Amino acid sequence: MEEALLRAVLFGTPILLASLGALLAERSGVVHLGVEGVMALSALAAFALALETSPLLGLLAGMGVGVLGGVALGVFAVTLRANQFVAGLSLAALGLGASGLLGKRYEGLPLANPLPEGGLALLALGLALLLHLLLYRTRFGLYLRSVGENPKAADLFGVNVEGVRYGALALGGGLIGLAGAYLSLAYRPSWTDGMTGGLGWVAIALVILAAWEPLRAVFGAYLFGLLFFLQFRLQGSVPIPSEAFATMPYLLVILVLALSGRTRAPKALGVPFERGR
Amino acid sequence: MRRVLTLLLALGLGFAQGDKLKACFIYVGPVGDAGWTYAHDLGRKKAEAALPWLETRYVESVPEAQALPVIDRFVREGCQVIFATSFGYGEAVLEAAKKYPNVIFAHATGVKRAPNVATYMADFYQVYYLNGLAAGALSKTGKVGYVAAFPIPEVKRHINAFALGVRAVNPKAQVLVRWINAWYDPAKAREATEALLAQGADVFAFTEDTPTVIQTAARKGAYSFGHYTPMLKFAPDHVVSGQIVHWEVIYIDFLKKVKEGVYTPKNLQNVDYFWLLQHGAVEMGADYGVPINPKHVPLLQKAKLAVGGKEVAVYDRIMTLLKDMQSPKPTFDPFTGPIRDRKGVVRIPAGKKASLEELLTMEWAAPGVVGDWPGEPK
Amino acid sequence: MRLELDPAPSLGKVALAYAAFLLLALFLLALLFLAYGVSPWRAFAVFLSPLTDPLGLSEVARRAIPLLLIGAGLAFAFRVGFFNIGAEGQLLLGAVGGAYAALFLPPGPWTLFLMFLLGGLLGALWGGVAAWLKVRFGASEILTTLMQNYLAYYLVVYLVAGPWKGQLVFGFLYTDRFPPWAHLPRLGDTLVHWPTLLLGVGAALALQVLLFRTPLGFALRVLGENPAAARYLGLPVGRLLLWVGGVSGALAGLAGVGEVAGIHHRLLEPAQISLGYGFTAILAAWLARGRPLWVLLTAFLLGLVLAGGDALKLAFSMPFRVVDVVSGLFLLALIGAEALSRHRVIWRR
Repeated sequence: MEEALLRAVLFGTPILLASLGALLAERSGVVHLGVEGVMALSALAAFALALETSPLLGLLAGMGVGVLGGVALGVFAVTLRANQFVAGLSLAALGLGASGLLGKRYEGLPLANPLPEGGLALLALGLALLLHLLLYRTRFGLYLRSVGENPKAADLFGVNVEGVRYGALALGGGLIGLAGAYLSLAYRPSWTDGMTGGLGWVAIALVILAAWEPLRAVFGAYLFGLLFFLQFRLQGSVPIPSEAFATMPYLLVILVLALSGRTRAPKALGVPFERGR
Repeated sequence: MRRVLTLLLALGLGFAQGDKLKACFIYVGPVGDAGWTYAHDLGRKKAEAALPWLETRYVESVPEAQALPVIDRFVREGCQVIFATSFGYGEAVLEAAKKYPNVIFAHATGVKRAPNVATYMADFYQVYYLNGLAAGALSKTGKVGYVAAFPIPEVKRHINAFALGVRAVNPKAQVLVRWINAWYDPAKAREATEALLAQGADVFAFTEDTPTVIQTAARKGAYSFGHYTPMLKFAPDHVVSGQIVHWEVIYIDFLKKVKEGVYTPKNLQNVDYFWLLQHGAVEMGADYGVPINPKHVPLLQKAKLAVGGKEVAVYDRIMTLLKDMQSPKPTFDPFTGPIRDRKGVVRIPAGKKASLEELLTMEWAAPGVVGDWPGEPK
Repeated sequence: MRLELDPAPSLGKVALAYAAFLLLALFLLALLFLAYGVSPWRAFAVFLSPLTDPLGLSEVARRAIPLLLIGAGLAFAFRVGFFNIGAEGQLLLGAVGGAYAALFLPPGPWTLFLMFLLGGLLGALWGGVAAWLKVRFGASEILTTLMQNYLAYYLVVYLVAGPWKGQLVFGFLYTDRFPPWAHLPRLGDTLVHWPTLLLGVGAALALQVLLFRTPLGFALRVLGENPAAARYLGLPVGRLLLWVGGVSGALAGLAGVGEVAGIHHRLLEPAQISLGYGFTAILAAWLARGRPLWVLLTAFLLGLVLAGGDALKLAFSMPFRVVDVVSGLFLLALIGAEALSRHRVIWRR
């Protein structure tokens, strides 16, 4: 049982970090569907730098790439007001592709001094709390939420809508980058093409399960980690096909959506802001 | 427009012709860092280095639906020999073989042949048995973990050979199996290993395309055996040995015979490589030329097992059998009867060796194997 | 500097925006190829090479078939404001339905018809569930359909690893081969299963006519433009949405039947069936700007991107990820250009 809880936390951590990143972007009104690709690229950058310098610099590099990914999405989604969903999907493909092309020479190398998973898990937990405080206890958080709910009103009150959205994307990107770095510097620790294995999409789903609340994302991520672990822990000892365990998080999201779908999402989610429209 | 494009194409491609033999490889996954496709690619590179008249090409991550179009292109670009390295390409290969009767095809893990389609496989079951002996000796809890990819006969055969080895040293030991239903999935490999660790397993073997199981086991101080390629560097203190493949041995032999005219697109109907230790197609080792990590040799020398009523050190037994099975005419085979499955049904009668057919269709589970076993015969 | 909506962009400006962004993408790609030691000219030539011969063209067509069917349905759905991104799962459900009809119903000349019928129905059901959740509970279809993709994926894994696993597959994850009645005819010795292609063309035409030439189509477009107005006009919004979800799901389901009946002749691992068509088709639909007929063009364009990418990785033994990079860059360029051409740049605040 203890073991299961530990796995829930340690495997839940990358999902938590990535979904906190996606959540921040979404609270400002921008859907970040590029998470999977940005995470892949961050994992590579983190690993490459960790190998050649130090794991801590690697961690920073991973976050840096995540920030860049967020800003890149911002150029399309915020400045150009392009379709956020398509921009995000393209970014996901581009990130996965670029990491695969650039990363060839880092495959098959062990990392001598990985980062401790436990420490990073605590950091992630702390960040979730911090994010909650940021959203509800700071002026920036107020701006951010208002931009996500009603950008027109925010604009009238003098909030720089585009600036806030860029800020949310950059900050969220940093978290997504941290998730990628966790995978290649602590969880594995090494790098192979495709190592994100769809966790980025799970993270996006989790944002909904968490109803856009950072603290709820913690539970959602850990629950996902727990179910993922249990499919192996219980394999052979319960007469349930392992596929049933694997589907549970997604069924849960649908259930949550059905129960609470109408109200929770930020009102301006996915809508580009046009002044005077 | 079309003219311009053709011109561009002609300018751009300008394929090197000459009397080089062109062999082309279709890979099922990305080349990656350690697994199945990586090993094939290593074999391709080594063959190219060894045979000056050989030119190779490859294309990675080809889904099954795309095998036929890929073969079309390869043939058009002048490939004379095409290696298809996944079971799932079988039907596409047979279809293409009819379409291109002058091209030679070789299908890894395949079961159906044709006049211009050979099949080949480098199999690990002997090595798994030897590694099982070591695992049985090293496990303190009597629980050995196996993280398995898919419940197919190849993997079942390997687990069984491994379990027979484990039980030969420790008749009460268990081999706990977890299926992850993936050839490449580090996260599943990691969590399956964690699950087995939580259940007390302290030695690990696996079938998955990354060193994840080894890295995970080493965190908890558990021993492990590498797979496909040398994995010692991922846990120098905990990797005991492993299964290493040398596809180049098969590739070089096959291509030489094509070059010499021994193999033609007309006479491959019965050409099936099922190459083992004695052919040098596989190796037991933590690294190339390191059958057992020297750090663990003393422990294996201390551990004993009974062979024909005599006490023998496990290390010596492994080395004797390894030497025997590497010799041109091995006398020992892990699947020699009497062998019952875990339900008590006799699967190989006393004094008999499992036939190739029996090896290739193995569905039963050896005694000591614990866990789900999809497709287990009643 | 900032951007402002440009209600009536001139044709020249639009052309300029597209030219600029595509050139930028080509430039970035050229850099990438150079870094990889491949001459950009050769790379571009190879990328376009599928257009120069029947073999390549058939590959483009084969890839375009599922994109056309799904894309037409999605362009339709997007126009009505139903953002179905679950085509991947609906395609898989279609494949499941088709496989059931092929494997477990008595074979005969009716088999293919039953496969398409059952596959289409299951696809419609899967799309309809999302529509129902939206109508009944207000759950965002973007998210429910995304989740349903996973459910469909694991359903197929469960079937091919469990109850439907074949007897003659050496323990691998496949069903047995479909009987010959369940095989779609193909064009010559290519893999182009032309009946599915015809279905796709028909679907694109029919939806275009429905959307722009009928009263129902008008109602649907009103719903897409302005849901509040639709309600005010007394349109049966719920019924319309259910209908739209069902239609787009059914078309994806048909595409799934086409893949298993035309190419694989069995049910197999889900990733091998869908090959990401459900997601690529979203892009085909988006590029078509909500006009089902335009998907005839965009599906083949994306088919070319996929086939050209394959040609690239094969010709230069490049990592398969090159396909992702090429398509990602082109798409970003296209949406960037589209967005820019709708706006004008204001240089002062």
